[in-house]
Amino acid sequence: MLNGAPRFRVWTHRSPAVVLGNAQRSLRNVIEQRINGRVELLDRQAGGGAVLTGPWMVSTSIILPYGHPLLSDSLVGCYRWLGQLHAAALAEFGVPAYALPAKALPLASAMIGVRTVNWACFGGLSPWEVVDVDYRKLVGLAQRKRHAGVLLVAGTLVGATDWRLLCDVMGYPEDEAILRRRTVSCEDLAGRLIEPEKFAFALTRLIDNSLASSD
Amino acid sequence: MIEITLAADAWKDIDPGTEALVDKWLVREGDTVRAGQPIANVVIIKTNQEIVAPVDGRIEKILVKSEETFAKGKPIALLKEST
Repeated sequence: MLNGAPRFRVWTHRSPAVVLGNAQRSLRNVIEQRINGRVELLDRQAGGGAVLTGPWMVSTSIILPYGHPLLSDSLVGCYRWLGQLHAAALAEFGVPAYALPAKALPLASAMIGVRTVNWACFGGLSPWEVVDVDYRKLVGLAQRKRHAGVLLVAGTLVGATDWRLLCDVMGYPEDEAILRRRTVSCEDLAGRLIEPEKFAFALTRLIDNSLASSD
Repeated sequence: MIEITLAADAWKDIDPGTEALVDKWLVREGDTVRAGQPIANVVIIKTNQEIVAPVDGRIEKILVKSEETFAKGKPIALLKEST
């Protein structure tokens, strides 16, 4: 991670991959055996639970140098800009969603009505993650803070996720129904197909504009 | 002796019951460290955060092991400042 100008990349994914959170490294060998070559297995350096990336997801990685105006003085505050930016991009595609304030988390957890799935990023809610009116999650956030700066990452569920595959390889097939209840895709909310590349292009433009206006 | 903790700003706006996890120690007991040197990675609210040595010194004792959790204000290690 370097000092200097912010950098970012918005990603689409051709094929599925299981991405483990940095606290799940010890599970790597057993998960690799379960995957048995079906999908790629990756590690990420940010916190949080496992994610299944794939053609249904658009991912964002942003590096902000220490002291950048978009970085809040609090850890939770750093998520606010990222969540609201994604909600703005979703609005352009007719997807009704918003970044969930930290103070609304207890209500959201109570209203969802099913337990959290701690091993999966999309199995729980954290401050400023993006949800619909039923508190179903569309965008997951994580970050890595180092002395030189902060890496912010996000994943958006554009299309339907293969939750069965993720639950199978993680060893929790019973959690598939819970993950389906706790999440929703952009396409479901918009009622039409959304091309990940077009959403990625919109995100890129909004991030570019936001970074430029913060200079 | 200096108590090493996760800085107060990391806990701002976080639910009082939340605990952080020591993901990885980058030093061992007895190691000499320099001010600003990363000594541990901790995870809180899906954030992997570095903890750095506040001053030059020696890691006297690690109080919270890797993969254990700790609450706000709890020291995770003791650092003896160099004289």
